[in-house]
Amino acid sequence: MAEILTGAASGARDPVLWNDWHVIADLAALRAGADFATTLLDVPLLARLGAAGAQARRADGAPLHTEVAYGFLWACLGAPARPLITIAEYAEAGRTIATGGSVGVHVAAPRVVENFLDLGHLGYVHVGYLGEEPETMVHPYRVGPLEGGGVLATGCKVYQPVASPAAQGGYMVDYQYCVVRPLITCLHKANPVARDAWDVIYLFVQPVSEERSIAHTLMLFAPDGTQPADLRRFQQLIFLQDKPILENQTPRRLPLADGAELPIAADSTSVAYRRYLVAEGLAYGVIPAGARVAA
Amino acid sequence: MSGRGPWVPVAASADLAPGHVYQTMLAGQGLALWRGDDGAVNVWEDRCPHRGVRFSAGDVVGGELRCVYHAWRFAAGSGACTFIPAQPNAKVPRAIHATPWPVAEVAGLVWTALAAQGAPPADLAGEVLRALPVNRPAAAVAQEAAALMAAHPALRLFVQPLAADRAVIRGLAAGVDIMAADLLLEAARRRLEDAALMEAAAC
Repeated sequence: MAEILTGAASGARDPVLWNDWHVIADLAALRAGADFATTLLDVPLLARLGAAGAQARRADGAPLHTEVAYGFLWACLGAPARPLITIAEYAEAGRTIATGGSVGVHVAAPRVVENFLDLGHLGYVHVGYLGEEPETMVHPYRVGPLEGGGVLATGCKVYQPVASPAAQGGYMVDYQYCVVRPLITCLHKANPVARDAWDVIYLFVQPVSEERSIAHTLMLFAPDGTQPADLRRFQQLIFLQDKPILENQTPRRLPLADGAELPIAADSTSVAYRRYLVAEGLAYGVIPAGARVAA
Repeated sequence: MSGRGPWVPVAASADLAPGHVYQTMLAGQGLALWRGDDGAVNVWEDRCPHRGVRFSAGDVVGGELRCVYHAWRFAAGSGACTFIPAQPNAKVPRAIHATPWPVAEVAGLVWTALAAQGAPPADLAGEVLRALPVNRPAAAVAQEAAALMAAHPALRLFVQPLAADRAVIRGLAAGVDIMAADLLLEAARRRLEDAALMEAAAC
């Protein structure tokens, strides 16, 4: 098996991620006749546009599973344990769909996911857009298991001065979060024009190494006149506010032991996410419960 | 070497301007240093207990340090968390606090210790020298510093271990030109780092 032949790759020791699908490139980043180099779980990959569409291969020639879906090239290094996720909104007529760029972040992938799920930082890290003082209270919300595995947080409400490019002023925005795979999460937020319609944002975090990631986003917004370029610009503005925070987290890997970091009630989604990772048996990009926290 | 013992200078008093959080390390541990509005220096583990974000990326607000991520506030002195904006009406659990290190401010230098043993240094005088980082292990740097002090009794030098292969020379000069003392330190750094390059080339 490829895993055994290339046992030096540290990503191979985590069967959960090794046998799962990961986004490795935005199709817009690929060109015909030129290799696009990236890395997944410490394994160097090369992608390009060929006659049959986007393709990827391992730089060392070992087998690699690939798929093209939702505007991205996906790869699985091992034996796919489950199919690609389904994004129903991708097929809905009228949605404005855009990818938000692929941003390298010098931190473990689960840290990037946890930040995406976090309500408490919105009024500070994204002040003037996704929150502001004095509306910094995180109102109670519900967290439970997602059907089919994962985490679902519902009933979240947060006041946002500029919730999205179409917002004409601040309002109390309804939110829902799903964690659908260890490194894939999505949020639904009420559209500023049609408040009963959901704008959807997916985050796919590519684990490059234990402590390096690439964050890919996909936006599927209700039709409100916003153009894809506006969505992309807004998403990049927001994510580039998160990046320096993420890169100042220490340790870079997510500690899973209870008490390694101190959550409060407002962090229930984060607590559920960490427990989900423990239940899944994630070993890569985390400090497992029971391990000593490195300084 | 002078100042032998667990207390180590990790900053100059002048490094701690009002409102500034100064970042340094001691033996691999990240430290955040800041001065509250009472003028006293705080030396804290450089890590918010909530999500591990470095305190040195945060702000000083009066007598509190505010974490950059969720704006939790931590009191000078005790390190106790005083306010969590996500739960403004809830009492903050006592378990949530920064980790303060021992601190003393003596002779224009800020001192701390991995474990406080004995009194902080006293009977020190002189002008504070420019801190000089050296890409060598602390033990090698300390040896060079001891030789310098033997040759120049006006110098009092101290070595701050940063990480395994990096240290900072800090010190005081009494009754001599500090520019001249600084040139001595520069020359010592060059000797130390050149010797390391020669060793590497010989391998």
